Formats: sequence, structure tokens, C-alpha cells
Amino acid sequence: MTDVVRRGVRPSRIAIYGVLLLACLVYLIPLIIMLITSFKTPMDIRSSNLLALPTDWTTIGWTKAWAEACTGVQCEGVKGFFWNSFKMAVPAVLISTLLGAFNGYVLSKWKFRGADLMFGMLLFGCFVPFQVVLLPMAQTLGMLGMANTTPGLVLVHVTYGVAFTTLFFRNYYVAIPDALIKAARLDGAGFFTIFFRILLPMSTPIIMVSLIWQFTQIWNDFLFGVVFSSGESQPITVALNNLVNTSTGVKEYNVDMAAAMIAALPTLVVYIVAGKYFIRGLTAGSEKG
Amino acid sequence: MSQLELRDIRKTYPGAHDETLKGINIDVASGEFLTLVGPSGCGKSTLMSSIAGLEAITGGSMVVNGVDISAMEPRDRDIAMVFQSYALYPTKSVRENIAFGLKIRGMPKDDIEREVERVADLLQISPLLDKKPARLSGGQQQRVAMGRALARRPKIYLFDEPLSNLDAKLRVEMRTEIKKLHQRLKTTVVYVTHDQIEAMTLADRIAVLKDGELQQLGTPKEVYDTPENLFVAGFIGSPSMSFIELEIERSEAGLSVTVEGSDGRKLSLPVPDYLANWVGKRVILGIRPEHISQPDNIKSEHSLVASGSLTVEVTEPTGPDIIAVIRLNGIDVHCRLDAEHPVNWGEDAELMFDMNKVVFFDPATEKRIRPN
Repeated sequence: MTDVVRRGVRPSRIAIYGVLLLACLVYLIPLIIMLITSFKTPMDIRSSNLLALPTDWTTIGWTKAWAEACTGVQCEGVKGFFWNSFKMAVPAVLISTLLGAFNGYVLSKWKFRGADLMFGMLLFGCFVPFQVVLLPMAQTLGMLGMANTTPGLVLVHVTYGVAFTTLFFRNYYVAIPDALIKAARLDGAGFFTIFFRILLPMSTPIIMVSLIWQFTQIWNDFLFGVVFSSGESQPITVALNNLVNTSTGVKEYNVDMAAAMIAALPTLVVYIVAGKYFIRGLTAGSEKG
Repeated sequence: MSQLELRDIRKTYPGAHDETLKGINIDVASGEFLTLVGPSGCGKSTLMSSIAGLEAITGGSMVVNGVDISAMEPRDRDIAMVFQSYALYPTKSVRENIAFGLKIRGMPKDDIEREVERVADLLQISPLLDKKPARLSGGQQQRVAMGRALARRPKIYLFDEPLSNLDAKLRVEMRTEIKKLHQRLKTTVVYVTHDQIEAMTLADRIAVLKDGELQQLGTPKEVYDTPENLFVAGFIGSPSMSFIELEIERSEAGLSVTVEGSDGRKLSLPVPDYLANWVGKRVILGIRPEHISQPDNIKSEHSLVASGSLTVEVTEPTGPDIIAVIRLNGIDVHCRLDAEHPVNWGEDAELMFDMNKVVFFDPATEKRIRPN
């Protein structure tokens, strides 16, 4: 029997792999072009095909993008802005995840009158377009004296992110049996003990989802960055825009591409490191814990 | 050694129209094993959660050893509970699961270690101590859940349908283990179940609940032999009691009732004298399967015994017995027959009715008519 099955590759298999390969190619081509262009010299870029490998491999694009390229008036590369983005994203991701976990815990396990209504209203936060909140947010930041500062930007991202993280954690915790909470209460554990010692240790998959989602969102954000920060405190997405738009003579595509790669690397790394948790976390409800 | 008093416990869920518990009064003696039994939605689980303090009651009071605990937080009540789903902490090992409550209560490390060992020995789960709950079988998880409850040496143990997730064989084994454990430790236990066999076998006393009201509170024998009303009579016992509505007649021999078989054959059955006031009135006769059997000489010398030939409609051999179904007054009636004398369905069998232990109910109130 196995002989019959193994004889030759069936056409349906070929079709499936063909389609998958094509899809991979479509997604990978921009990345490939960016990568090879970033290692080319400007001469090479002008003379050769877009997809051709560099005739002369060079990292000049990368070093220039990192430390020398002009982003507006000053020419110190994206280095500083890269760290700015970290200073903004790391606290914002951690705070919004913790708040989301806490909200989810209360909304699913300590239901109060109107808890579901409150959750429904919180969900609206996921659908509010960025542009709508720009003006009120600017006003609020001004009143708090946090305009154009990194902590201000963190506050904006936390506020915006809590709707999503709450959704993640609330739906994850709803699937955890209430009996567990009851058992812990009878064991003498209080509100915070149950959260930190029972529920949080069970939450690894959804914490990963929240971290990846929030990091990607916050790191990649441009609009809030460009509106609520200036000069020194700008995140890398804004710096990248400035770098590409600063025209001093010839356009250096290799530098642009290298800068774009630098800007995209952290989210890529986060996804590669924690990606399996992301998939597992998103499907967590469907398997038995 | 703790005694629990439930005084007029009432509970209405927020937004609900009806009371879930309508004034429950139960005294549980120190060291007593009380089972709460009833169909789904009768309020037994709500009552249990209320005792644990997981649900706030809307009326009445709960007193443990003379102290009113009605308003206390669960952690201050010193009550442990075994859940139907076991509710083991999945990220903790068996040891940590058992130790958690002790740790929270600030017990010194050495004492915790000793207590975990004691409980593990008691339940024979010592080899499992370092495993995670997910790696245990259902029966093992069940033991760990009991271990967690035992470790704290609480005043009262609550069991919320702890065996219903186990397969049939294991359930019977664990039932025996729980009973052994109780006989050894002499702890006060309140045990919720919907399985009346579990209730009968384990309990010192059974509380039968329906629609938030206590139907009867008594020893298994009392509840079985003298059910207070139609509901208790029908709920306790398997196969359940059969009910036939008929009229009390007076003849020369005394009081009697007449039943009619499926082929129209009539049979007169003697009934006790306490029904004298009911002559000419309709009553409901409640008859258990073991009250109808093959004729046997010792029993037939008693009064209130009658025999007749009736058609057997269905036979269900159980091993030691054959449960046969006959039709009386158009109603299926179960009889417990000796398996040594096989009967076949569709054939006639000579059956003996022992009317000494049958019960009668008032059709209007559905309450048992008591011998005065």
C-alpha cells in the first residue's frame, strides 16, 4: 500500500507547495531587495538591476545610517533615536501589559455590577482611530506638563494599548475555571496573592501575545511619535522619515535601506524569539490547560 | 471536631426573581458526615458555596462551634473544600498545591514539610509530590485535591460532587476511601452530590433538597424507608419507587386496595389499619421493587402479604437480581426478583406483595400518610 502512495509526487502536493512558495516570494522580495540594496555602493545601485547581488559588498550604508546620516539639521545617524524608541517602547509595553492583565483579572474573576458593560466600552478603545485622539491627547499632555517628552509618549501608548491588552487577558482568564479562584480564596489567598501567585504564572502564552503585539504596535508607531515628540525625544520611525526626506544632493538608497532595516530589526527579533508563544497564545482558548 | 448550624439560610441572586435557598435549617453534629442531595438546580451547590463564604447569603446565619461565621471572609472561616473539577493550581507541583494554603497562613517551613508528608502518607500520594497536576490521572488529581483540603486541618470539610468526574469503577473505590478516611479522622463533612447512591452509602444523615427547600433530613434508612413526600420517595432508591393512585376499600378481612394487571386480572392487596380514615378516598401507593418478589414461605406467614399471578413485561438481569417490570393500573412497576428462579418476559409469574413496608401519600399534599 505504501508503495502506491509514495510512487511519484501527487499533483495536489505540487500545487500546494507552489502556491506556498509563491506567497513566500511575494512577502520576501521587498526584504531581499532592502537587504541587498543596503549592502551595495551607490554606484552599484545606479548601474545594476534591483534584484542583482552587490558586485562589491560593503557595510558603509549601515555604518552611515547608524552614526552619520542627516536627520534634518543634525547628522548623527539614527543611533540616538533607536535608543529613544527603546526608552519609549519598553516601559510602555510592560506597563500596558501589566495593566491589561490586571484589568482582565478583575473583569473576568471579580465581576462587579456593570463589568460586562465596562468591558464592552473598553473594547471601543480598540476601534478608535489614532487621529481622533490627537487633539485631546495633546491638550492632556500639555496640562500634565509631559508634552514632547518620552514619558508623555509612554503615557499615550499605554492609554491606547490598554484596550487591546485588556481584551487579550480578559478573554484568556474567562477560560480559566472559577473554581481555581475559589480554591485559592479558601486557601486564604487574597485579591493580589491570587493574581500574582496563581493567575500570572499561568499566563505565559497570553503575556507573550501581549508583549509582541504591544511592542510591534508601539515600536512601529509613527503618528503619535511625530505629533507628541520633538527633536531629541523622537522615536526611530520619525527619524527614519526625516532621514529619507533630508535631501543633500544624491539620494543614498543604501543608507535609507540600512536605516529602515535597523528600524525594523527589533520587532523582527522579538517575533523570531517569541513567535511560537504568539501562535500558541492566540489559540490558547481551544486547548485544554 | 466542629459543629455547624445553618439557621434559616436564604439566598436570592442579584436580579433573580425567585429565592435560590428558601430558609434552610440544618444542624450538623461534630464529626458527622452530612450529604446534600437533590436534582440539578435544587440549590445544593449554592448552599455549599454559602457555607464556604464564596457566596454571600441574603438571610439567616451560619454558626460554627457557637461562632457566627455568616459575615466572615472565606479565609477566616477555616473551611476547606474539594471541588468537582479538583481546581488544582496547574503551575504548581503536587507538593506546592498542598502547601499553598499553609504557606499563605504563615506556617513555618519545617511544619509545612511535615504536614505535606503526613497528608501524602494518608492518601498514598508520596511518589507524586513533585509532579505537576496535568501529569496525574483523574483519580490521582482527586487525591491531591483531598490532600490540599486535609493539610490545613480545617474545622469543616466541604465536598462538591468530588467523584462525578471519575469513571464508574474508580468512583466506587474512592467512595470507599472517603468513607474510610472519615471513619479514621472523624471530621465534620458536608458532601454535595446528585447521585443518591453516593448519598446513601456515605452519609450519617442525608439532606434532600428541591427548589431551594429542605425536603427531608434523616439517616439513610429513614429517608429510604419513610420518605416524607413523593419527591423524596421517587428520588432516593434505584430503580425508583413506583407510584399507583388508587382507592382504599374496606372488606371483611380489613382494609385493602385493588390493582389490575395488564390482562385485566384483578388483585386485592391488604393495607395497614392506620388508613382507616381514608376508606373511600384516593391515595398514592408507593411501592419499592423489593416489596414485590417471588413467593417465599417465611414472609407469606406475615399479615399484609398477598400473592397473585401477573404478566412480566420486561426483565433486566443485574446479576444478583432480576428487575422485572409489570403493569399495574396502567403503570410500569418494578419488582426485584431472585435471579435463581428465572422468569421470562411475556410469561406469567407468581408474585408476592409485601405490604408491610409500602408507603402511602396524600394525593393533594403529596405528603406521606403517617401511621398514628
